[in-house]
Amino acid sequence: MHLKKIKCYFKFCNYYLLYWYFFFVFANNIFIILMIGVVRLKNQYGTTPYFIEYIIHRLKLFTFGQFFNLIIIIRLILLKIGWDNMAVEIKLPPVLEIIRGNIVKNGNPLALKGSEVAAWAKDLKLSSQGDLLFYTGGEYQLLPYIDSLVSTMTVMDQGSKVFSFMMGARNLINKTGINAEKIYASVLAKDRERFNSISYKAAVILQKLGYDLCYSGDKELYSGALLTELGFNIDMQTYAHKVSKVFRESKAKTIVCLSPHAAEVLKFVYPKLVQDFNYTIKTFVELIWEKRSNLPQISLNKTVVIHDSCRLAREMEITEELRDILNSMGVSFQEASSNRQWTTCCGGPNKLLYPELSHTIAARRINELKETDADIILTSCPYCLAALLGGQTKDDNTIIEDLIEYLYRGFEA
Amino acid sequence: MTDLQKEFNSYSKDITMASKDENIEKAISRAVKSYRQTTAESLERFPHTPELAAEVREIKKTSIANQQALLKQAMESVERNKGKAFYAKDKQEALILAAKIIGTGKTIVKGKSMLGEELSLREYLQEQGNDVWETDLGEFILQLNKERPMHILSPSIHVPRERVAEIFTKFFAKEVPPDIAQEVAAVRDFMREKYFNADVGISGANVVAADTGAMVIIENEGNVRLATGAPPVHIVMVGIEKIVPTFQEAMKVTEVTWRYAQYGVPGYVNIISGPSKTGDIEKVTTYGAHGPKEFYVIFVDNGRSTMAKQDDYKAALHCLRCGGCMYECPVFQITAGHFGHIYMSGIGAVWTAFVAGGMEKAAPLVFTCLRCGRCVERCPMQINVPSMVQKLREKIVNG
Repeated sequence: MHLKKIKCYFKFCNYYLLYWYFFFVFANNIFIILMIGVVRLKNQYGTTPYFIEYIIHRLKLFTFGQFFNLIIIIRLILLKIGWDNMAVEIKLPPVLEIIRGNIVKNGNPLALKGSEVAAWAKDLKLSSQGDLLFYTGGEYQLLPYIDSLVSTMTVMDQGSKVFSFMMGARNLINKTGINAEKIYASVLAKDRERFNSISYKAAVILQKLGYDLCYSGDKELYSGALLTELGFNIDMQTYAHKVSKVFRESKAKTIVCLSPHAAEVLKFVYPKLVQDFNYTIKTFVELIWEKRSNLPQISLNKTVVIHDSCRLAREMEITEELRDILNSMGVSFQEASSNRQWTTCCGGPNKLLYPELSHTIAARRINELKETDADIILTSCPYCLAALLGGQTKDDNTIIEDLIEYLYRGFEA
Repeated sequence: MTDLQKEFNSYSKDITMASKDENIEKAISRAVKSYRQTTAESLERFPHTPELAAEVREIKKTSIANQQALLKQAMESVERNKGKAFYAKDKQEALILAAKIIGTGKTIVKGKSMLGEELSLREYLQEQGNDVWETDLGEFILQLNKERPMHILSPSIHVPRERVAEIFTKFFAKEVPPDIAQEVAAVRDFMREKYFNADVGISGANVVAADTGAMVIIENEGNVRLATGAPPVHIVMVGIEKIVPTFQEAMKVTEVTWRYAQYGVPGYVNIISGPSKTGDIEKVTTYGAHGPKEFYVIFVDNGRSTMAKQDDYKAALHCLRCGGCMYECPVFQITAGHFGHIYMSGIGAVWTAFVAGGMEKAAPLVFTCLRCGRCVERCPMQINVPSMVQKLREKIVNG
């Protein structure tokens, strides 16, 4: 990590300078002694003012030198007694560094290409500029890859070198020669299709409701929410500028986010990092809610339960909107015992570091939702969707869907 | 160089194992359900509580801002009450102070205290050659089973009655059936004799009033009443963040604490301000009437004043230790105290970083937190743990 390298360099400098310094002080002392000797010799033959001045000059340097000498020694003592403990370098688990590296270098956490992330939009021919920017952040599209990597992770020791290579996949492709395509090929085509189509469906729904969307296509970058989430605030400072450059190019005034994580970071973090970040940030749910009177009726004969996502319910305070939308479509739905601002987390956030723990939390949440005997669990967040699907047991035939997928039924015909 | 990966690996194994532990699952689901039910009921019965909590938030905020002045005042008040007040900068100082008062070869009865856990007080006093007994039933079970607490208020939340029966049968060397009433009775018989033969009683305190020097201790079992009343010496060890300006304010903090700690109405609220005394014979004040003759208070800092100076984290000192957040934490719900190092769950991660264990121990916890924010919904002090966790991650990542 660049920051650490800088720090390391400083540390190195400290010691490096120290040796030079001791040498300098030592040489200085010798020189002065010699000089005094010379003066004494000279004295026998008569003192010259030049030599006296010179000695005073050397002595000044000498005291100056000793002063720094003292500082260095004090610093060494402090280091020794552990005063500097907090500055000790910390080696993080590799997975964090890999996610960071991928976002910063490739514009998304799993180093997919822009063209792969934007593949869903091919047939829609969305303009690249407009008032309302449709922002996927690549998050739904990335989901199947995250799961494939997490399953790689679960079977491997996180500390091993091989593991870092695997996680680095495309990130490290030049160094190791491991073919990222091979790893990513393990993603099932049907999963890839499902998650790619969510972005497509969202765009179609919004268009049919009369919204005029523009889309940045393969230039679109991931929001960087994970950088903020995982503590890489320094990287985020530069990354946010990269992303907002893409936003600026779209000439949009409003950005509609499919993922509540993206919406949260654009709404609360970006304005602090990027000057004149004056976009209105909306979530997909809000746009639908505004036009809820135009929504088609859906009669599926299946009961629905809402899984409120943490970001949506607690940070963005969007809970009633979801219910209003379902009501407008004539959908009867159940409420889980922990809902709205008391919703239970799907376990998604710690999937990368503690996959098994995350899995158990998801399974527990599914059980909570199933206590309502609903046939369909509806969520409105890519990570909730992926985490809940991952936590489902094989024999469980409850349908877990994103709100986008559910809504699309009414727009298909 | 600190290799966090190693810390992460051993912790990861532990927490994953815990998440598959059926005892934990069974016990915590039951506990969560009952916590939510009792709290909802008592909030309905005492509807002024949220308003009172808002008031307490302000009290705690000003108290933390004036920590040093309040500490001084509280110490003076204790001295005025003929108690002895001490300030311990860190763990080492606190333990040495306690050991100096106690000495060696003594019998000590101890109330439950998270500060005690933070200082490893019991273990230290035992090493000094003392006989130390945890009087809280949950802590007593853990003491016998050589385990660490799995919840700050219900430390042995994960041990079912069958296991308790096994532990007791072995320790008391007589058959104790897996019947809760009989288990409780067995401990009562055993402990009674300890209280009256003990040389020293040690307790923590939930709140301290600086103006009167009153220590407020909330409890249900009655063990604190006996442990602080029967022995000739009482030592209070309390964190400096517990001090509030006045007695009236202390009462407000106390009520909010117990309400959110699922006590409904607690069995006992002890208020202790000094040694036991009487003036009944010729109006001459004589100390050590029925209660302790000597009363000591050790105010422990151990990183708290550093925390109070950091804007990003100082609100964590408002924590009342009601434990409500833990019941709401999805990670805690499946792993109990394994998601912690002395202090538990998200708020515990923050406390670990500053007070108990440092960054190295805190890092794995900091990255376990889902930052889902449900703890904030529950917290009467509305401590924004997710934002603190994020700041800690920045600290860890940037070294």
